[in-house]
Amino acid sequence: MNSIIKLDIIHFSLIYLLLLIILAIMKKSKINQTKLLLLASFRMTIQLILAGLILTYIFDNPHPAFVVIYLLGMIAFSVHRVLSKNKDINKNFKLAITFSLAFSGVFILGYFVMVVVGESFFSPQYTIPLAGMIIGNSMTGATLGMKTFTEDIKNQRNKIEALLNLGVTPKKILLPFVNNALETALLPTMNNMLGMGIISLPGMMTGQILSGTEPTTAIMYQIAIMIAICTAVCLTVFCSLTFGYKTLYNSRNQIKL
Amino acid sequence: MCMENTIFETKDLAFNAQIYYQDIKIIKDKVNFIVGPSGTGKSSLLRLLNGTLSPSGGEIYYQSTNILEMDTIELRKEVSLISQSVFLFDESIRENFRLFYDYRGLDKPSDHMMEEYLKICNISFSLDKDCTTMSGGERQRVYLAIFLSFMPKVIMLDEPTSALDKDNGLTVIQNVVDFCKNNNITVIIISHDNHLTQSFGENIIIIGKEGINE
Repeated sequence: MNSIIKLDIIHFSLIYLLLLIILAIMKKSKINQTKLLLLASFRMTIQLILAGLILTYIFDNPHPAFVVIYLLGMIAFSVHRVLSKNKDINKNFKLAITFSLAFSGVFILGYFVMVVVGESFFSPQYTIPLAGMIIGNSMTGATLGMKTFTEDIKNQRNKIEALLNLGVTPKKILLPFVNNALETALLPTMNNMLGMGIISLPGMMTGQILSGTEPTTAIMYQIAIMIAICTAVCLTVFCSLTFGYKTLYNSRNQIKL
Repeated sequence: MCMENTIFETKDLAFNAQIYYQDIKIIKDKVNFIVGPSGTGKSSLLRLLNGTLSPSGGEIYYQSTNILEMDTIELRKEVSLISQSVFLFDESIRENFRLFYDYRGLDKPSDHMMEEYLKICNISFSLDKDCTTMSGGERQRVYLAIFLSFMPKVIMLDEPTSALDKDNGLTVIQNVVDFCKNNNITVIIISHDNHLTQSFGENIIIIGKEGINE
């Protein structure tokens, strides 16, 4: 297999010309988001350049502390993203989400790197990119799950109140909301798995093939990461909501939303 | 400390450190009305009585037991609050009975029984009638029928006639009061309707402005 053609900076910058197409279409369709497009492209560029520099440094100077710091940073950022989209929940619920994301992410990542790949957990080449995919998807799942849960509960206040007045336990009232949110959070990942390989070659596999990996190896990695992601999303949302919903009521069986 | 015929008794009850209630006695097996201007904490009082809210001060005794020492789930099964905000599942009347009974861990009652309770609430629809197509007043009465069918010991109605026209309201309250009398159920009603209060009230509790910030 050929190894990848390195992009030189001049040729690479030609890709930015494609943005002009989007800008032209936006202008024609009166979509007022040109600022966002430019900001997003700019931020992506800066963030990835920084990530590239940091990763280059870490790969050249591998040390467990770097991996740990990188992981902690990822977890902190993903927790922040989930919580910033769910501001109204109580403090203990936020704690439940934080621990669930951190625990599920690290547990699945550890299983993948150490058991499946058979590498050290502190090997930056494996742990850091896989952590990004696993924790990133867990974050999206948790955001979707929490959004569904909090919106459902808000929209069905009357139901909760009626059942509470009838002498139904908060657990029995709230569990259906938990289950529904978990299902909603899992669907995108599972649908993604359904179409995989037919509709598109997924990102990680594409990357590996481009850089010269045998397609059979790339496929195995892709399958492994998809199952890992699905499990991580499921575990994160399940733990967040299972520990979280219990913070919504007290020993007097009063529900505080 | 409770007289024999008192089922609920409050002492120095306060809510949110804003509303201070005078000491209230609810008389067993009677029709108790709670009246007073808006914003005096009538609805909150009912929620304090069934333990879905906690007072910021004072005590509530149910059959001489401080409700703080009681399991609130058991309390709510005995003391049923039918609040102003009606909730029904988007299903038929029969399915609504089934779902509510399922939440309580019970088998659904027989069709005959459901019809009996609907009749008390002046509803004559078929059990297959879809609740989403009903008017607000009809939904309020179906909701009442379902709660009534659980046969609590105390039934608390918060503005039960708010969505009903005058005649309908009178009939429903008359039926509910008769049913409760026959089954030794204590009734507590919040109402702004003077006529209703005068016709049915056996114990009228006025929660007044003087009750606030005393």
